[in-house]
Amino acid sequence: MKVVTGVVGNDIHVVANRLIDISLEERGFEVFNLGVNTYLEEFMDAVIETDADVLLISSLNGEAEGWCRDLQILKNQYDFRDVVFMIGGNLGVGEMDPEALVPKFQNYGFDLVFHQIDLNEGLDRLEAFLEAR
Amino acid sequence: MNKLYIDIGSTYFKVAQNGVIDQYFRDFNKNILDDLSSKCADVISRYDKKDIYICSSANGGLSTLIIGLTNSFSLKYAINIAFNSGINIIDTVLYPKIESEPVPSEMIDVVIVVGGIDSVEKVFDEKLLAYLEKVKYQNIVYVGTQKNRDFLEKNLENAVILENIISNDLKICEEGLKKYLTDLYQADIVGKEDIKQLYEITDNQIFSTPYIVNRSLPQINERLDVANPFIVVDIGGATTDIHYSRDLVNDNILTESGYDRLVFKKLGVYKSRESLVHTAKNNEFVYELLEHLNVTENILEEQSEKATRILMQLAIFLVLYKVSKHHGDYVELNLDILNSIVLTGGITKVLNQEEVDDIILFFYKKILHFHHAPVILLDRNYEIWTYGIKE
Repeated sequence: MKVVTGVVGNDIHVVANRLIDISLEERGFEVFNLGVNTYLEEFMDAVIETDADVLLISSLNGEAEGWCRDLQILKNQYDFRDVVFMIGGNLGVGEMDPEALVPKFQNYGFDLVFHQIDLNEGLDRLEAFLEAR
Repeated sequence: MNKLYIDIGSTYFKVAQNGVIDQYFRDFNKNILDDLSSKCADVISRYDKKDIYICSSANGGLSTLIIGLTNSFSLKYAINIAFNSGINIIDTVLYPKIESEPVPSEMIDVVIVVGGIDSVEKVFDEKLLAYLEKVKYQNIVYVGTQKNRDFLEKNLENAVILENIISNDLKICEEGLKKYLTDLYQADIVGKEDIKQLYEITDNQIFSTPYIVNRSLPQINERLDVANPFIVVDIGGATTDIHYSRDLVNDNILTESGYDRLVFKKLGVYKSRESLVHTAKNNEFVYELLEHLNVTENILEEQSEKATRILMQLAIFLVLYKVSKHHGDYVELNLDILNSIVLTGGITKVLNQEEVDDIILFFYKKILHFHHAPVILLDRNYEIWTYGIKE
């Protein structure tokens, strides 16, 4: 299965990005790593060019909330029906209610949302989600 | 025996021998070879055909229509390769929206179709064929996913199939398409009587000047006092080209030479003067700039030497503005970290160092809020193209 991954927005957490890349490969995924500082449009375009099954966006500095708001709009511009949209990392910044984060990102259009969840647990749940599909 | 280098521009031609460059204003009542012969037949006769090298930007270049799957990869990569191959006129169509895209009315020299890495199937279908049926084109080249080649080959007569310009890890592969476009330019020259005749004086391939300038950039700091990152701004009679170090761009392309080219086809000071004036009048900073230069906007309507000088200063300002972060066009250069600006083309024959320094410092102060500007060099002898043609 093909996964497009990378760190969204003005975020340079390259070590986390590399760990995600390695972990995905270890689990047998074909990984297209766009690296750090990636815009949402580039993620979507990479999914189209590679015909990927999963888009896994990570964010460590909490900016994802701002960068991913247009996901639904972009999803409407192409047929992404078979693609799983996943986001994980540290998704909030400042004074925020962690409980509200998951539904907020689900409303943006993500199928799987992991805020401050261990990487391996997140990937286990991704695999379970893909299998259930 | 030394070699003779000739550059045929839209307004001047330049002849270089033994490190000395002479320039001649074109006589548009004569064809190029007759004009060249009338001005420097003696020089040409002293050289063997195999020792004469010619580049030209005078035949207008090829018009291109690129049909690509996404903006961030297929279209971006193909545009980059086309510009670096010396192509000036580029239209694009985003394939997912092809059914609502307008069809160009004029004849297109080459259509480029691109999309998908090699493992992706069924990217292009009948929608592409339906669109292409309405387009008037002479050549078509496919540089997309391998798995769609059969469909293109079966349905598009004369389609040239080349290696995918998008690698399996989403990087750019430029060589195949770049060579094809450069060869096509050559074939285009052969088809144009004016340039074709130049083969009477040379045995060597005639290249496009922008391609030659781009080729010269990796060695430019061995010959001129420039520091990376730098840009070369070639403001000519018909178009304005910018060649820039890739260090100035923050995106996903990594090309072999490390230098890319961008063209503003309507910012020349001679053949496209009207559109330059139009662009200037629509720029919010231009009136402040005119005030800084102690002139009014009426100067833009005048046909005087002073008006030409002002127009050239405006052209420098507009080009920098169009690649700055204040203008979200095709490319955004990080001008904050720029170390050198090299100006070449007809502009260096008219403006002096002080006038150029003044306008660039105005740009840096006004737009970027800096107190100083990069080091500015004027390539007064049009030397840059000779570095590339000697390769």
